[in-house]
Amino acid sequence: MAKALTFRRRYRQELQAYAFLWPALLILGLLMVYPLLQVIRMSFYEVSLQKETWVGLDNYAQLLKTSLFWQVLWQTMLFTAGSVILHLVIGLGLALLLHARINARVRNFMRGLLIIPWLLAPTVAGMIWVLMLAPFGVVNGLLASLGILDSSATINWLGSPETSLLSVTAMNVWRAFPFFMVMLLAGLQAIPDELYEAADIDGTTPLAKFWYITLPGLRGVITTVVLLDSIWTFRAFDPVYVMTGGGPINSSEVLATAIYFDAFQKLKFGYASAEATVMFLILFAVSAVYVRRAVREIG
Amino acid sequence: MRARRRGAHLAIYAILVAATIIMLFPVAWMLTVSVRPNVEVMKIPPDWIPALFTLEAYNKVLRSGRYLRTFANTYFVALAVTLVSLFIGAMAAYALARFRFKGQRAVLMFLITTQMFPLVLLCIPYFQVVVKLGLYDTLTSLIIVYVTFTLPFCILMLRSYFAQIPKDMEEAAMVDGCSRVGAILRTLLPLSYPALIGAGLYTFLLAWNEFLFAVVLIEAWEKRVITMAIYSLMAEFVTDWSMMMAFSVLASAPLVIAFIFLQRYMVRGMTAGAITA
Repeated sequence: MAKALTFRRRYRQELQAYAFLWPALLILGLLMVYPLLQVIRMSFYEVSLQKETWVGLDNYAQLLKTSLFWQVLWQTMLFTAGSVILHLVIGLGLALLLHARINARVRNFMRGLLIIPWLLAPTVAGMIWVLMLAPFGVVNGLLASLGILDSSATINWLGSPETSLLSVTAMNVWRAFPFFMVMLLAGLQAIPDELYEAADIDGTTPLAKFWYITLPGLRGVITTVVLLDSIWTFRAFDPVYVMTGGGPINSSEVLATAIYFDAFQKLKFGYASAEATVMFLILFAVSAVYVRRAVREIG
Repeated sequence: MRARRRGAHLAIYAILVAATIIMLFPVAWMLTVSVRPNVEVMKIPPDWIPALFTLEAYNKVLRSGRYLRTFANTYFVALAVTLVSLFIGAMAAYALARFRFKGQRAVLMFLITTQMFPLVLLCIPYFQVVVKLGLYDTLTSLIIVYVTFTLPFCILMLRSYFAQIPKDMEEAAMVDGCSRVGAILRTLLPLSYPALIGAGLYTFLLAWNEFLFAVVLIEAWEKRVITMAIYSLMAEFVTDWSMMMAFSVLASAPLVIAFIFLQRYMVRGMTAGAITA
C-alpha cells in the first residue's frame, strides 16, 4: 500500500502525461511504426499476395544493378532541387515586395490572393497545368503570340522526354511557392526595425542592408523551410502521377511513383519495399538534421 | 528625394500587381475554361476571354449523382479526420505542454520524425492490412489513415500554443473544485480557439486534398473522393476540359472560401507549424 503510494507520487507527472498521450501514441505506433518495420522486413522477401519467400539481400542487389533506379533517383533529385531553389527565389522575392512599406490592407489582400495556389489540391493544380501545357494549349498559344514559337511547331510539353520533368517541376514550383512566401514574410516581420534605422543613419546601400541585415535575419527560417520543402518534394507523388504518370519512357518518373507502380501494377511488393526502404534512409538522413534543429528550438 | 521615394513606391506596387497577375493566371484560366463551351478551349492563338458564356459544364457536374457523391464523401472524410485529429491531438499537446515527464524529448522527436515519413512507403503495408481487416473500399480506412499523418502536425501546433498560455488559470479553477478535465475545458480550450481553428483548417485542407491513399485504398465509385474523381475524369473524358475545370473549381471553392474568412488563423497555423516543427 505504502509502496504503491510512493510509486504514484514519484511518477505522478508521468502517469498524468501518459493518460493524455496514449491515444496519440497508440495510433502512431500502430499506423506508423508497425508499417515501417513491416516494409523493412518485406524488403528481404519476395512477396506475392499468397506467400512470402526469404531472398535475403536480393531485392537490394537487383535494385542497385538496375539503371532505371539510378535514373529515377537522379530525376527525383533534379525535381527536388529545382522546386526548392525556385520556391526560395520566388517566395523570397514576393515576401520582400509584400514587406515593403505598402498599405497594410493591400498587403493582406495580395497575400491572400497569392496563397490560393497552395490551397489547391495537387491533383487540381496538375490538371490545370495539363490543360495549359497541351499542344494546342494556352502556354504554346502565348509563346506563339509573343513570336517566340512558330504556331505550326508547337511543343508537346508533357509528351516529350526532354520537357516532361521540367513541366512537372514548373507546376510544383507554382503550387507550393506560397508556403515560402508566407514563412519568409513572417520571418521578415520578425527582424527588428532598429537594425534598418541604424543602417540608414550610417548611409548603408539597400543591397548592403539586404546582405548584412535581411539575409542573416532570415537564416533560421530559410534553413527550416528549405529542409521541410526538400523532404516534402522528395517524397511527392501526386504531381508526377497526375500529370505524366512518370512518362514518356520514364523521363519524369520519381521515386514515389516508381515505388507505387512497382508495388501496385507490377505487384513486386518485395522489390518495391526495398526501393521504399532506400528512400526512407535518404529522407531519414535529411530529416535527422531537421529534427535535431526542431527539438533544440522547442527546448 | 521625395519624388524618388514616391517613384520607388509606385514601382513596388506595379511589380507586386504584375507578379500577382502572373501567379494567378492558371487559376483565372481554370475559371474561364469552366464557363466556356469546350470547343473554344484548344486554340492558337488562344481566346483570352470566353466568346460565349455558359454554365453548361457546372450543370453537367452538379446533375451527376456520381460526382455529387464524391463531394459528400470528401466532406465526411475531411470533417471526421479534422475532429478526430483535433481531439486526440489536443490531449497529447496538453500533456507535452503541461507536464515534465520521462520520455518527453523522445515523444517530441518521434512526432517530428513521423512528419517526414515518405508516405508512399506506408502504402504497401496499409494496403495489406486494410484488405485483411476487410476495410478495403471503405471511407473508414481513409479516415484512419489520414489521421496518422495529420495528428503529428496537430499535436505540435497545439502544443506550442498551449505552452504560451499561463498555467495559473487552470490551477485556480482546480483549486475552486474543478477536475483537471473541467479546468481544461473551461479555461484552456476557450483561450486557444485561434490555434484550434488554424490546426483544424490545415488538417481539413490536407484531408480534402489527399490523393495517394485514396488511390490505393478505394476502388468503387460510391466511395471515391474528389481528388480521385478529378483524376478519373481526366482519364475518361480527356477532351471535356470545361467539365473538368468546372469540377476543379467546385472542388477548390470550399477551401478558398474558408480561407478568405479565416486567413488570419490559417497563416498563423502555417507559420507556427513550421517554426515549432
